[in-house]
Amino acid sequence: MAKMKIKAKEKKGVVKVKAMFTNLMADREQAIKTGVKEEYLRQVTAKINDVIVYEVTMGGFMSENPLLKFKCKGKKGDKIVFTTVDNHGKEETGKKKIK
Amino acid sequence: MENRMDRRKFLGVGLAAFAAIFAPTTDLKAVDFRATKPAAWESEKTKDGIKALYGSAGLKNDEKKLSFKAPKLAENGGSIPITIESSLDLESVAFFQDANPRCLTCVFTVPKDAIIEYDIRVKMRQTAFVTVVGKTRDGQLYSSTKEIDVSIGGCGG
Repeated sequence: MAKMKIKAKEKKGVVKVKAMFTNLMADREQAIKTGVKEEYLRQVTAKINDVIVYEVTMGGFMSENPLLKFKCKGKKGDKIVFTTVDNHGKEETGKKKIK
Repeated sequence: MENRMDRRKFLGVGLAAFAAIFAPTTDLKAVDFRATKPAAWESEKTKDGIKALYGSAGLKNDEKKLSFKAPKLAENGGSIPITIESSLDLESVAFFQDANPRCLTCVFTVPKDAIIEYDIRVKMRQTAFVTVVGKTRDGQLYSSTKEIDVSIGGCGG
């Protein structure tokens, strides 16, 4: 359901990563106000070659469809794997080759 | 009959070995701060939030070592870009704000040898102070604070 957009580009050993996730990020108060179900991403993890390079625990106060940008070390051709967990415990993964 | 039992046992051993091989990968799984520190996610004020998450150690206000970029005036309170940067060897970084019903927004767990330059977007309902707190691997706490003006009308005033 949820979509993930990932971009990863390598330059001199440093990989610039941009990732966007489709999620309402509705917190308790907002969910009551707008009449939707409480829904937010609880955790996002990124791995390259099974090593964690980025990890964040979030609440519902991140913006809607959160956009995360970060830098990490890596090589061209490696795969970056994102895993997200939402507040209902649903897990989703997305992959992208580093350009 | 005995043969059958052996076969069962053999299968059981195989399963155990399989589990042993895959067990370390689950240990590598990320730290879920929502499960380990539930009190921090419920606290309303930044001060209480920091206490609940990192304990009551003294905060060092050092804006050179731990800094973050944020717009002084945010026209859209629904998505405020914030960039956190640090030259320190940090273990975790947390972002707090006073604008919303609960203060803790997100907590980063920094892997070893990582480059600390995180860009996030947050929601803020009103003008308020935001605080970034970083914990080094030897347990010291650094912080930096800024005020962000949020104009809900979007007219820049």
